[in-house]
Amino acid sequence: MYLLEHDAKELMAQAGIAVPAGCLIEDPEQIPEGLPPGPWVVKAQVTAGGRGKAGLIRKASTREEISSLSTQMWGATIKGRTVNAIRVEQQVADASESYIALMVDGAAGAVRIIMAAEGGVDIESLPPEKIRTRVVPAEARALNAAVVELAASWKGAPRAALRSAGERLAAMFLAREVMLAEINPLFVRSDGSWVAGDAKVVTDENALERQPDIKALLERRAHAYPEADVKRVHGFDYVVVDPDGDIGLLTTGAGLSMMLVDELRQQGLKPYNFLDIRTGGMRGDPARLVSVLEWLAEGRSIKVLLINIFAGITELGEFSKLLVTALERVPQLRVPVVARLVGNGLPAAAPVLEVAGIRLHTDLDAAVQEVRAVLEGSK
Amino acid sequence: MSVMINPRIDASTPVIVQGMTGRAGRLHTRLMREYGTNVVAGVSRRMETQEVDGVPIFATCEDAVKATGARTSIAFVGAFQLLDAMREAVSAGVSYLVTPTEGMPVHDGMKARELTLKAGATWIGASTPGMAVPGAAKLGFLPNDALRPGPLGLMSKSGTLSYEAGYRVAQRGVGQSVWVGVGGDPVKGLRYADLVPFYASDEQTRALLIIGEIGGHEEEEFAAQLKAQAFTKPVFALIAGSSAPEGVTMGHAGALVHGAHGSYASKAAALKSAGVEVFSTLEEMERVVCGVCKGRE
Repeated sequence: MYLLEHDAKELMAQAGIAVPAGCLIEDPEQIPEGLPPGPWVVKAQVTAGGRGKAGLIRKASTREEISSLSTQMWGATIKGRTVNAIRVEQQVADASESYIALMVDGAAGAVRIIMAAEGGVDIESLPPEKIRTRVVPAEARALNAAVVELAASWKGAPRAALRSAGERLAAMFLAREVMLAEINPLFVRSDGSWVAGDAKVVTDENALERQPDIKALLERRAHAYPEADVKRVHGFDYVVVDPDGDIGLLTTGAGLSMMLVDELRQQGLKPYNFLDIRTGGMRGDPARLVSVLEWLAEGRSIKVLLINIFAGITELGEFSKLLVTALERVPQLRVPVVARLVGNGLPAAAPVLEVAGIRLHTDLDAAVQEVRAVLEGSK
Repeated sequence: MSVMINPRIDASTPVIVQGMTGRAGRLHTRLMREYGTNVVAGVSRRMETQEVDGVPIFATCEDAVKATGARTSIAFVGAFQLLDAMREAVSAGVSYLVTPTEGMPVHDGMKARELTLKAGATWIGASTPGMAVPGAAKLGFLPNDALRPGPLGLMSKSGTLSYEAGYRVAQRGVGQSVWVGVGGDPVKGLRYADLVPFYASDEQTRALLIIGEIGGHEEEEFAAQLKAQAFTKPVFALIAGSSAPEGVTMGHAGALVHGAHGSYASKAAALKSAGVEVFSTLEEMERVVCGVCKGRE
């Protein structure tokens, strides 16, 4: 999971990586008393790149400026993400900007280390000869050797800083089992001392149960990561993709669910959510279905519910009974239901749905046609 | 040049099931055997029973390999136990591993990748629905409704989307030669590109379909491999996630877009430049793939 800068910096600080003193603002009307000494940088917290160019990272030298910048940034959106937290931290003066990152390289099945002594936020536009890279096994000795070797590409302050920051970042990368750890810019002073200007960390949700510190951080900050919180608490994936969407989706399988969202949008329709409910994890209990239906009932514009299940293992007869029970328990969701089911146990599902007045399709395109008809009829 | 990876199995290939006495292990052993897979042994450290439905259970992979000579295994074990199960299998001499387990930590995935590469073993997974040679045998749980023998090579990251795609073309009479679910994890065993040489040489494969999704670089690697070896059979790709927001994980850990990296646009461009026909809807995929495959019968 892509962490907000503020949380990534907390994780880095725990690993002995220096970060500027800072605090988090979660209400633009309430600038905390305990600010670090100024001047400051006011940074919108969103999990998307390009904040600086979008005017979401600004300098401030008075409390009033912090307040007005926070108010300006509040609610801004960048790449579909909305700003609802701001980090204020001390400016770092008289420093050059280096770059360091460690990331999982899927093709190699190993760790890619990237360093550059200059570049900072414009790393993408640096010529290739100014960037040093190694791909090594995910193992401490190999990572450290590569850090030392890469840092030795430069002299003086950048060499010392990249080596020292790199060793700590590598240790954190392994100990926290993260997928990406990046410091960009790494502020380097002329004496070789350094501090992480920005921090990007992508954690591995699959390792969460054996990473108690990250788990604790995510529990404490659950409100900042609603999608990950659903996964953590409920064991499946749910994402609102369009708060104004009028089609609620009850679907299983990440790939098929994503494809359905794509196809509906290409046809000019407006799906409200993505869902991979994992029918295999329901084990005869309608609780998951009830949770999802309750969330969908919060969609202010939802006019129809589309169910799409391709059942490899799931027994569709049992699924249909659970579905009907769940719909009865969430009476506040009063919209027509269109179901498309294929696979294991389909004959048993048909009468269950018929009694409940739900039209059953086996062809997805036909189900989408009916959804369209419902939407047109409700205008 | 390394030896070409050949994922083909047949109804005589002896198979060991690790974790056979668990809920999933029992269920899928039964379903695989019903389909035709030759399951010869199960492994269960606790040895609660001597056999399951007539298949002998052993305490270790080593014992199972010694007793049966099998070199192929499928593991139904928990995510945190998977790396150890793979180590056990490889050291026992297993050279073909399929691991459907979802949720393997990525750092374990890196270790497992190094392990299998060093041993020269073929690994499919993790997070895979498995593989199948329709009409002969399957390892995993690709649904029978979607399986049909035929000319189409099929590889997929997503389980469900490949079921839908395979089902649609099978309904229209176009089946699959060898179907490999490579899985949606960022670090895994076989990747699309690894199987390009196999599909190029496999006589029963007349065309190739990949079911991709946003995130990672695998579709781009695949495109580069097609170019590198001048693959001459028709290649198709269906890519999910064209409307997914940046920075949000849509179910698969691998399906995460950062900037242009791994986006729909970058994948479609790379694939098209390698001569791949790229679809953004199932209906279009079904129509064109069936048209081409039927024309080449």
